Amino acid sequence: MNSQNVEKKYTPEISQKEIEELRNTIQATSQKIIAENIEKMKKADPNRPKALQYFDEMANFVSREKEIRVEKEKGRKVIGYMCLFAPTELILAAGAIPVRVNSGWYDAAKLGDRVVPVEVCPMVRSTIGAKMIALSPYLEVSDALISVLTCDGMTKLGEILSDYTQVWSMTLPRVKDSEQSARLWREEIKAMKGQIEALTGNKIGRKQLKSAIELTQKATRAFRRLQELRKASPVIMGRDAMLVNQTYMWDNIERWTEKTEALCDQLEERVRKKIWACPPDTPRVMITGTPMIWPDNWKLPTLIEEGTPPGVLVADELCSSERILYDPVGVDEWSMSDMLNAISERYLMASTCPCFTSKDGNEDRINWLVNKIKEWNIQGVIYYVHRGCILYAMEYTRVKKVLDRLAIPVYYLDTEYTREDVGQMKTRVEAFLEMLSARIDL
Amino acid sequence: MVMELLGEVLKLTVLTGLTLAGILVILIWKKGLATKVTYFRFVIQAVAMVAVFYLFTYPVWQLIVLIVILVMPLVLGRFFCGWLCPFGFYMDAITLLRKVLKIRYRNLPDRLNIFLHNFRYVLLLIFLGAPFILAWLDPPPSLDFATLMALVFAGPFEPLRVLLGPVIPLIVPWVGPLEIGGLYFSYPYVQEVILYSNMAFSEIFVTIAALIFVALTIVGSFFVRRVWCRFCPTGSSLAVVNRFRGFKWAPALHIDKDEEKCTKCGICKRVCPVQVTEVYEQKGGKIDTSMCMLCTRCVEMCPYEGCLKVNIGGKTVFKSRNWLEPSTVE
Repeated sequence: MNSQNVEKKYTPEISQKEIEELRNTIQATSQKIIAENIEKMKKADPNRPKALQYFDEMANFVSREKEIRVEKEKGRKVIGYMCLFAPTELILAAGAIPVRVNSGWYDAAKLGDRVVPVEVCPMVRSTIGAKMIALSPYLEVSDALISVLTCDGMTKLGEILSDYTQVWSMTLPRVKDSEQSARLWREEIKAMKGQIEALTGNKIGRKQLKSAIELTQKATRAFRRLQELRKASPVIMGRDAMLVNQTYMWDNIERWTEKTEALCDQLEERVRKKIWACPPDTPRVMITGTPMIWPDNWKLPTLIEEGTPPGVLVADELCSSERILYDPVGVDEWSMSDMLNAISERYLMASTCPCFTSKDGNEDRINWLVNKIKEWNIQGVIYYVHRGCILYAMEYTRVKKVLDRLAIPVYYLDTEYTREDVGQMKTRVEAFLEMLSARIDL
Repeated sequence: MVMELLGEVLKLTVLTGLTLAGILVILIWKKGLATKVTYFRFVIQAVAMVAVFYLFTYPVWQLIVLIVILVMPLVLGRFFCGWLCPFGFYMDAITLLRKVLKIRYRNLPDRLNIFLHNFRYVLLLIFLGAPFILAWLDPPPSLDFATLMALVFAGPFEPLRVLLGPVIPLIVPWVGPLEIGGLYFSYPYVQEVILYSNMAFSEIFVTIAALIFVALTIVGSFFVRRVWCRFCPTGSSLAVVNRFRGFKWAPALHIDKDEEKCTKCGICKRVCPVQVTEVYEQKGGKIDTSMCMLCTRCVEMCPYEGCLKVNIGGKTVFKSRNWLEPSTVE
């Protein structure tokens, strides 16, 4: 892009020297944090499955970045996306590499403050900051970004990032189950298909799209297998599973599927031998709320699983983890039109993102949670919200009412992209876990 | 002569097909391979068609088939439409052909679909009343009351046989209205209306009805899935039981939905060949619509374990499963 010469509309000019200094310090911290997190995760489970080794390596961005750069030199395009609504199948069908570019760096959020006020969602601020100093490898390699206009933050984030790179916006209808919404979204998907084709120069044909859909379906199968394994006694630590889910956002999908299946094989072996990751009577916790992005924003899962008393994460409802792959693309007939319909419906209608409302009372998220609680035997729910995410915060009362009826304790935890409140959060989380274990003892 | 021989060969082929299909059904059932319900259903439809073909050789069986069709909905709802009806089989076969030809299907607008669904009762009335109207417009020379009654209840036209319309195979073993080289063809609903032959007006009516029907089913099936089922008058007789409040309990076979497992992904709505929206829209519990013909395509395609279930009298016979996984239990 020749955006270097164009005057930036939003972001301030930073000297190359400052950019480099900032990037180097943040990258160094980030590498340290990645190593630290993984070290902690290794320690938490003494006989951690060997298959997780691969995901530990993938968690370190360096190797995957190198791989993508090699692919890029061969002429493959990279398309970044910021919300789950971007049609990954279309990107794959055009032979491009999909990567999710949401940023989890705490320090980058402070840079974002120079552009947008602190009240804004920290993930948005962090993504802006990461772009300003070229911190995120995936943001840097992306030839284009798909910005789906979900919440207000995401809407403006795409606009701000267009200072640097090409951004394609997709209008997302807010009522998700009406006929006219479906039509609008279908048209958006079709238009996106055209844009992807234009960028990559590859025509998306029936065969390519079919194999792309089958590829993600296989990934969904592996993903679901992993989640099913978490239903019984904890065979894998929640953080490990979350990391596996999250690496899907930037990994080669075919390889990810293979490795996840291999992990599941090992976990099944463990179930047979009754080797548990932690004592089976550990309180079973679910997180719901705003996304948590590797590497920095890992504090809550760490606190839950390393608290005294410890809990174990067995499920979550985060768009950075379990919601990525929960719903498959269900194709009736393998014709182009039906495949596109299937893709558009899968992204629009099945989503439980709170940015939607619906004609029929919007029960989807509640049903999702209730189903998870029942099937996965959840004993407590932590409702995690970034300060600034109004949509998740506003849905809390509704969720709480339903969970109260089920007699499932739910705890509202709001936080920032900062390490400073870890101590305070620790007290809050541990009190909650204490209460859960007391309930279990009773 | 050659054609007659061909007819015999055809009959034999069909019989062999019946046997093979029967063996296939048993195999599929035994090995628990009935995961792809669509194919399973297709085989059953073929078997049913052939069975009906042979049954129709003997008039007494027609009566038995009729009784079965009328009584079955009390227990099985419109199971007949989805799984046994020969005409449904033709349309499904055309759907297969359509998929091979890569023609995409069109959806009817929902409101038109519902209108047609209600229109089927009008259509039924037309078919029931047509002979009388024809007789009135163009009376046969010796029509007195006694003859008319005789014709109505015992003659070539028996009102209730109209309901058997779509069950009559396209190629009929007896003498049909259309003969091409020794084989007799018939169109559902047409056979019944040929009442007072040698009358120009009846002939025209029959021809028009036949043309409309053939155009709708054979040509229309290339563009709209299960096009005739949307306003088939026979379906009305099956569906009518489900319509009355007092009979909501009646069909023991029905689809059940678990609200909590549903994510409203819309797959059930999209895959339904007759565009039933209730499975998607209803909040949960027993799916309550007379449009559904229980082909269970939605149950097959629903990707959430146990979200949709087919129940017979409280017992689950088939439920939706994570179809991404190879199924281990059926």
